[in-house]
Amino acid sequence: MKTKALMLGTVLALGALGTLASAQAAETIKIGGAFNLTGELSSLDVPAANGAKLALKEINAAGGVNGKKVELIMRDGKTDPATVANITTQLIESDKVLAIIGFTDSDSALAAGPLCQRAGIPFITAGATSPKLPAQVGNMMFLAPFGDNVQAAVGAEFAVKNFGKSAYLLWDKGTEYTTLLADYFKKRFAELGGTLVLEDTYQFGDKDFSAQIAKVKSLPKQPDFYYISAMPDDIGTTVKQFREAGITGPIVGGDGYDTPLLVQVAGAAADNTYFTTHALMDADNGSPAVKKFMAAYKAEFGHEVENAFAALGYDTMRLIVDAVRRAGSNDGKAIAKAIEATQGFPGVAGELNYSASAHVPRKGVTMIAVKGGKFTLGAEMVPEKVPAP
Amino acid sequence: MDGIGTRPETKAPDWRRVAAIATPLLLLSLLPLYATFGASAYEQRVIIVLGIDIMLVLSLNLFNGFTGVFSLGHVGFMALGAYGSAILSMPVAHKAINLPELPAWLAGVELGFLPSILTAGLLAAVVAVVIGLPVLRLSGHYVAVATLSFLVIVRVVLINATPFTRGSRTFFGTPAYTSVWWVYAWVLITIYIAWRILRSPYGRAMLAQREDRVAALAVGVNVLRTRMLPFVLSAFLTAVAGALWGHYILSFSPNAFYFTETFAIITMLVVGGMGSISGSVVGTVLIVLLTETLRELERGFDLGFVQVPPLYGLSQILMAVAFISVLIFRREGLLGNTEINFMRLFSKRERTADKNE
Repeated sequence: MKTKALMLGTVLALGALGTLASAQAAETIKIGGAFNLTGELSSLDVPAANGAKLALKEINAAGGVNGKKVELIMRDGKTDPATVANITTQLIESDKVLAIIGFTDSDSALAAGPLCQRAGIPFITAGATSPKLPAQVGNMMFLAPFGDNVQAAVGAEFAVKNFGKSAYLLWDKGTEYTTLLADYFKKRFAELGGTLVLEDTYQFGDKDFSAQIAKVKSLPKQPDFYYISAMPDDIGTTVKQFREAGITGPIVGGDGYDTPLLVQVAGAAADNTYFTTHALMDADNGSPAVKKFMAAYKAEFGHEVENAFAALGYDTMRLIVDAVRRAGSNDGKAIAKAIEATQGFPGVAGELNYSASAHVPRKGVTMIAVKGGKFTLGAEMVPEKVPAP
Repeated sequence: MDGIGTRPETKAPDWRRVAAIATPLLLLSLLPLYATFGASAYEQRVIIVLGIDIMLVLSLNLFNGFTGVFSLGHVGFMALGAYGSAILSMPVAHKAINLPELPAWLAGVELGFLPSILTAGLLAAVVAVVIGLPVLRLSGHYVAVATLSFLVIVRVVLINATPFTRGSRTFFGTPAYTSVWWVYAWVLITIYIAWRILRSPYGRAMLAQREDRVAALAVGVNVLRTRMLPFVLSAFLTAVAGALWGHYILSFSPNAFYFTETFAIITMLVVGGMGSISGSVVGTVLIVLLTETLRELERGFDLGFVQVPPLYGLSQILMAVAFISVLIFRREGLLGNTEINFMRLFSKRERTADKNE
């Protein structure tokens, strides 16, 4: 009985604390930050959330917006769809935010987006790259990064120009991102007159690629390049095993490669790898905006920028605050209109342009070449033609 | 002992029996009532998900708790329910866009809410019969392993049946049918079914083979049959709960139906007490409320004199600690094998009678 009473007491006390915690009020511009701060996606979402926090600090240091301070109300989606839906509702209902930014994957974006749409609140995803999102969710949904169709087109165009017209394609059929990326690559590659000598798949989390490699080795003639659509967790292992099997040709991929793991796991084997991403996060060779951002990030959090998602989070936060300023109102529709009217907004990860018909920004893509265990700039490109979403 | 299967020796007057049955019903109906009148949208969400969790835990308990064999594969049935009902109920026009490769016989189907969740439930029940026939013959831990492999198989099928499920990509476009009343109506049905089964000769046979398989066999209990009925029923109810979840969350992927969900449900079951219907309800309510409260606290708060910084992930750690404490201090769960006896509330005499049993 004593234990029961103790437990009940604890629950009640915690509940009281919870109410205390939410009892804060001030005249501020409230923006919701919905990120998966814990769980499997935290390695992408935490940098993005940090980027947003850094932007918030700079905005408030510069006096806020429309004479008011900006507040970023951060909630953790825990990489769980039910929790993602809960925190989105809380941000809308309890915190009364004007707009929500967050998430780096389309699963979470699809769980949160429709709730924002129904409430008439703009939602900008910091890192989900599925170009289908705005069509799936509605006119309140925006992307901060380019769509997968854009980066796949750049990957195909760059590879055909530099390496040749025959390719091997390997993709992870376990995630939305890798599936779409491979699809768009195939479309654009075929348009360019390329031929796929072999197409193969694996499942997210596979650690042994010897079966796939054996098939590649048995090809009568090796292709000009290898396009591998993989998640950040897998790419180091994949590249390493391909190289160890004696496959030395160029390996090409998407922004999933943009992780320190690529060089850490594959080591020198990572050379001659090329991938499309949002910006080159390099303190020496990056653009001036990137250098400034990297220095500020390091000063704030005490460590280097993890990946380009930090820059995307930073851009997203600045974009939404700018849109609120331009809208001059707290109305969700007006803010969404302001985002649609964004032209030439300078972001760390590329310039942002939107329109009423394009909620995925038209952005340049950075092609990175791995040389001597370092990420170097391969090219800055805008695709000539983009496959339909 | 006021354990399951024991009936009070003395017949209580009628009003007491009515009151004893009405009290838990009234307590439970407070939740949907509050959700409809007065709750914020967030509280509504919590109450709806809580109801679905109660259903999941209860139907798992119907098998795990009462037959004593441990199934780790029930989330597989939940997935069948969610996907099955979503595909059946999606408007034909949406199907053409969201699932273009769907075979013609399914592409033209558009069922209402109730028919589609019932069909999805029946599908899971049929699957349960098929896998139950070989699996339920096994004993103890082997059932756990076999049902776990069922869960793995369901996941692999979901990921590879791309025309039906979009593979591992997010499934979306599920009609938003689930309301708080639908959920709690099903919660009541689940409680009723569990209650009736337990108090039937069938339920006694289940408990008998749980306590001593050999003795039960000796008195002529058909172990396979007594395990089969709760297995199929709980598969059906789990699938219905999964369908309700799907029509509420609206977009999901196979990742939602795997180990994380499995262990979340098992935690609630173990905390509440395996083998107790009221335990399942109490355990689920406690865990859900605690998780939500802790989630609020981990964002950091200001007590006026101290500023507690945000510590994301703290709620998971504290939940684990709470779970371990229950395992150490109350290994059988909060209620163990016993039920909350509402009869007692209305009779002093009953209490002494119970003790003498």
